[in-house]
Amino acid sequence: MTGGRDEPFVEWRRGRAPGLRVKLRIAGEGKGLSDYFRWTAETFAMDKVFEKPEALHGIRILDMTNVILGPVVGDYLGEYGAEVFRVELPGRGDPTMRVVTPFGIFWKNACPGFFPQNRNKYFITIDVRKPEGVDLFKQLARRCDVVVENFIAGTMDEWGIGYRQLREVKPDIIMLSLNGFGQWGPFSIGRPSWDLAAQAASGHAAITGFPGRPPGKAGLYLGDYTGGLLGAIAVLAALHYRERTGKGQYIDYAQAEGLIRTMDWTWVYQGLTGRERGRYGNRDISFCPSDIFRCQDGFVAIAAADDEEFRGLCLAMGRPDLIEDERFRTAEARLKEEHALELLQIIRDWAATKTREEIDALGELYRFGSAPVMGFKDQNYDPHLRARGMVWEIDDPVYGRVVEVGPVVKMSETPGRLRWSARPVGFDNEYVFVKMLGLRPSELKALEEKGVIGKWAPLLGSMPPDGWRGEGTIF
Amino acid sequence: MADGYIEWARQATDPKEARKKPEALDDLVVLDASYRHIGGLVCSSMLSEFGAEVIRIEPPGGDPARNFSPYGIKHKDTGLGYLVEARNKLHITLNLNVAEGREIFKKLARKADVVIETFPAGVMDEWGIGYRQLSQENPGLIYCAIYTYGQFGPRAACGKPDYDVINQAISGVAWSTGEMVEDEDNPQPWEVPTKIGSWYGWYIGGLWGAFGILAALRYRGQTGRGQLVDVSGAEGIMRFMDCYLTFYNMTGIEKERIGNLDANINPYTIVPVKDGYAMIAGFTDPNFYALTECLQKQEWRNDPRFDTFLKRAKLTASKAFWPLLVEETKKYTADELLEIFLDYVRNKRGPGTPVTAKVATPTEVLQQENWWLRGVLEEVEDLNYGKVTLQAPVWKMTETPGRIKWVCRSVGQDNEFVYRKYLGYGPRKVRELKERGII
Repeated sequence: MTGGRDEPFVEWRRGRAPGLRVKLRIAGEGKGLSDYFRWTAETFAMDKVFEKPEALHGIRILDMTNVILGPVVGDYLGEYGAEVFRVELPGRGDPTMRVVTPFGIFWKNACPGFFPQNRNKYFITIDVRKPEGVDLFKQLARRCDVVVENFIAGTMDEWGIGYRQLREVKPDIIMLSLNGFGQWGPFSIGRPSWDLAAQAASGHAAITGFPGRPPGKAGLYLGDYTGGLLGAIAVLAALHYRERTGKGQYIDYAQAEGLIRTMDWTWVYQGLTGRERGRYGNRDISFCPSDIFRCQDGFVAIAAADDEEFRGLCLAMGRPDLIEDERFRTAEARLKEEHALELLQIIRDWAATKTREEIDALGELYRFGSAPVMGFKDQNYDPHLRARGMVWEIDDPVYGRVVEVGPVVKMSETPGRLRWSARPVGFDNEYVFVKMLGLRPSELKALEEKGVIGKWAPLLGSMPPDGWRGEGTIF
Repeated sequence: MADGYIEWARQATDPKEARKKPEALDDLVVLDASYRHIGGLVCSSMLSEFGAEVIRIEPPGGDPARNFSPYGIKHKDTGLGYLVEARNKLHITLNLNVAEGREIFKKLARKADVVIETFPAGVMDEWGIGYRQLSQENPGLIYCAIYTYGQFGPRAACGKPDYDVINQAISGVAWSTGEMVEDEDNPQPWEVPTKIGSWYGWYIGGLWGAFGILAALRYRGQTGRGQLVDVSGAEGIMRFMDCYLTFYNMTGIEKERIGNLDANINPYTIVPVKDGYAMIAGFTDPNFYALTECLQKQEWRNDPRFDTFLKRAKLTASKAFWPLLVEETKKYTADELLEIFLDYVRNKRGPGTPVTAKVATPTEVLQQENWWLRGVLEEVEDLNYGKVTLQAPVWKMTETPGRIKWVCRSVGQDNEFVYRKYLGYGPRKVRELKERGII
């Protein structure tokens, strides 16, 4: 059970380089492979995406959220065809994310930080602190399948639009609440939270970073984006259950708990050994080598857990002697602390003499894991990520060319897609309230005068670009 | 707020009652053929927590992922990384390297709703058991392939293995995380791009796989058609990297790693306190006001470097503010800070909501009653593996909460049961297949 040379399943990993057994010892040598990739290239062709159906077509989501954790749920689902109605307050809109942007820089009067959670959505405003607002919200909820919210626990209930009230108007509604510490429990009550609080409280920060250095903050709002994904998974499971039984339900998701879930062997290790998981920098203490190394023009990741890959790495380094070296001969031997440190040092010295591209290519030739540490510029120009729609250009009627990260899951029948970018506050009020709720112009006006609905205030992050003349709207 | 709400929410979603409720996915059969890959296991864990019958297919010697464990530690026959993500799954063995094994796999796939695999792209197809072949006999099949480079695109055929650290490197998370170089002439070993400590590059691929499978399930419910779902752990995290790719295209500025500071907001950071570290947030104007009140540093509000949200967001301001903040936070323990902040919020002493939380060590997390009450951590009893502390399903749900039934099974432990249930093989047939190295 060592993943060694005689292990079944290793045939596909024989490398192409001299010195390795070359052939794939399986049926249809070679020809099947290229044929498969011709087929996938056709099946997933990006230029056919908009011709195909959508998996979540017909699902409507009332997106009563702020910041990232809540909004991103509707974004993920909206990429696969759900219709998402993002509710904000008239005027400023989302009080946080319409101003949170790298280094305080705005673009075309919009807040770049607001874009990644808000593609494909309809932007409406409702002030639910007014009775007409509650009524309007309930009318919409009656027409929706899912409500998502991320206020402090109990806020929606206090406003009269919690699960208990909404199921009265829509008995099979699915409602997802997300926040820092959940709807109940000692940490939850009246306590505001942010992504970083979840990173801290979950132990996530404590296991990220280098030994002897401070705990590490992740270079992204990872509690939010991970949490939104876990929330979306629960919504989809609940939709399946509703399909089977006709029943809706309420879902409580806490961000810190989601990070605890992703911390792999931390808890079982502590429970079984009584020892504490520390920070190990970039190396993996579960197999060796797996680490990040400095090279001539940047950094690379290298990993080779089993004997076959390790052999490939040794040959790539021009060090066949290491293959039979007692210190490194087996996976167990390589994992021994002193051997691991010696081995990583050997790789470190070697990597320093190579470029990112060289090491990337050697990994392919000799079949071990290798990749450059990519920045956002690298990603932007990467042909592979572009071909896969991960770098996705939207030709947007409001903002012109916007480059976004595309849908993650590639689906052969129902691919995800980006239709439009984020929108100014209240941008789709007319479309949604007229088309879905049949409101008359005079009724819209009356609601606007009472401040129940309304457009953007003339604020950076909330208003349209200069020179915008109604493009992207139909009323 | 109505206390009634909190009590209602607790009762309606109490994880202690979870086992008495129905399961959302107990109509599904899932074949998890993932190999040497934690992400595939995470993917099927999401489904098995919701009640799907997940059949793990390992090679006769066991999945090498059973060896992925800190310092190589084993609990019985299994490493700790695998032990966490084996929950509720049946474990069988099958040798896909031989034609007969692949024929048996085909027969199983005819009975399955979902197949999960993590080989380099094209391997299963080459073996004659990829999506193209399996879907001919089972058009409703949802086939999820998780692989760093995906199933199409210029690099899809590269054949390289999929690793956590590789996914983290490609995704941008390593680029964006870690300490800045203080002295260009003397960079320290820790002043480098830094990965997330956990197997985040594997876990996120697995979560996106579950998302894709469930979305495909809805489409199948509407049309009867299955599909191929292609997921990369690297791309899964790339999606999470805030607006940095978009921002680069808008402004030409590429966000780099800035240690425990934040590119968008300030203060939003980790600081030393008397008894360790804590996170501090107070970046919007009302929240910054609240922070200055709580720390009794009203003069910060009038400092022209920090007096507005946008001025504070500049990197120079973040760098200048951090040492001032630390000078204050060092006077308190993490709990004292939390008490001051919560007193301000709960007793409405002014506008804004400053936030703090202790940077908890895993040991401290395990000692906090909150997580046990919320059912996040659970000591699971298992017939084979004894009592094991696991992170439990994350959602509290009124109708169909997830749950853990057992921890793990040894290699091939469910061969007799599964092969009988799905293919009608009796003990003699199973023994014979075993002797010939097929299972």
